[in-house]
Amino acid sequence: MAKSDDCAHILQGLLVFGNVVIGMCGIALTAECIYFVSNPHGLYPLLKATEHSDIYAAAWIGIFVGLALFALSILGIIGVIRASRTLLMVYIILMLITFAFEMASCITAATHRDSLTPQLFLKEMLERYQNSDPANNSDSEVTKTWDKLMLQNHCCGVLGPSDWQEYTSAFRLTHSDADYPWPRTCCVLDAQGLPVNLDGCKLGVPGYYNSNGCYDAISGPVNTHAWGVAWFGFAILCWTFCVLLGTIFYWSGIEY
Amino acid sequence: LRYRPALTKKPLLEGVTTASTFVVDQPRCVFTGYDNAVIWLVVALDKAASTFNNSARPGTDETAFQRFPNPVRAYMTLNTTLGSYPCPKPEGDITVLRVGSETSCAQDATRPTCNGPLPGPGPYRVKFLALEGSVPVAETNWSVPITLRKAKPPSSISTTGSRHSADMVVITTILSILFAILLAGLVATLFWGSDSCSGSSTFSKPESVTVRRYNTHHVYDQPAARL
Repeated sequence: MAKSDDCAHILQGLLVFGNVVIGMCGIALTAECIYFVSNPHGLYPLLKATEHSDIYAAAWIGIFVGLALFALSILGIIGVIRASRTLLMVYIILMLITFAFEMASCITAATHRDSLTPQLFLKEMLERYQNSDPANNSDSEVTKTWDKLMLQNHCCGVLGPSDWQEYTSAFRLTHSDADYPWPRTCCVLDAQGLPVNLDGCKLGVPGYYNSNGCYDAISGPVNTHAWGVAWFGFAILCWTFCVLLGTIFYWSGIEY
Repeated sequence: LRYRPALTKKPLLEGVTTASTFVVDQPRCVFTGYDNAVIWLVVALDKAASTFNNSARPGTDETAFQRFPNPVRAYMTLNTTLGSYPCPKPEGDITVLRVGSETSCAQDATRPTCNGPLPGPGPYRVKFLALEGSVPVAETNWSVPITLRKAKPPSSISTTGSRHSADMVVITTILSILFAILLAGLVATLFWGSDSCSGSSTFSKPESVTVRRYNTHHVYDQPAARL
């Protein structure tokens, strides 16, 4: 009797500890997802244009899952201490539902990260940058985002300035190739925002234009975002799995 | 003159050929001695290079840029005197000529010597021709055929080639397995729960029911009393 009492106390202690960790991880997940959703690198318009913005959906789900985990962990702690069958059954079922949602979020984030290839961004940029067709409002967002990206990171195009030469684009329709082999934002600009040497930029003289592509500047934050949501969620789910197994075991042993 | 115009190789320029322009080196130290001549650049379609007549006069309809490539098959532009090409070339200076850079006069028939953007990917050949008055006095060789860049439409970019990364496969498989185990565990507990766990774990305080023997006082007292 004493032995099973000890056993019970140890299991209770472990479950309470497990639930405390789940609660804290839930808060951390919510905070992380709020950070991502707040779009710190300003890349959301680009992703929305590619219609692969589901990593944002995954982050939104993560916010609510995090809060749910926190609330359920408190419920779990109360249920374990009171050894109440109903509370624990409610806890288990709600946790399973939350588990399923978080699983969906992780898999979505991982899958959509894979589809964000350079070719996708290249195609969207060529079709939308400086698209002067007034019917499309979202394209001006894309243009502003690209301009900001190219100015801040001193880069040009997705793979390089030759993107503008190898493919026709919406930009090319309104800007002649002789005057604008690539957009002016690809030039090295002075403090007033004018090219330091316009002829040098048009010729492509090293030092007067930005020769590297912006894909690294895009994929860095997007990767961090996607893997942050996916892998942290995965870790939480593994821990939650153990706690839930223990809870089911505990629940099955409580007398009516 | 034993000089062949060529696309600029030093320094390496990103825009050495674009869809409508190309860049050749200036003919420095080539036309030495022709101080009175005006040096013209002749741009011709590759096939028309051999039939070009040096006595063609620049600025006329036969050599007007605006009528290139049809019916004019070679035009003359970028006229300068030798003073613009000083010899020797200073170290570190970039001495190039960009053919096709003037967009403002491309449609202007009053500027037949316009250095306008080329109308197609070519191929083209160029040479330098020195004229004194309207008499040709020197020329370089024709360049090798120069082909410009052709742009493909963006719809030709294939965006479907993304493979599934190992990370995503790992996450999906492991999470699915964990979820399945949890569901199985829950179902098993609901249907067979109490029996199977009886061995180790009844976690409430067990109240053992003891049967208490009821000894009635008077039954025992009587035999003692008889003795």
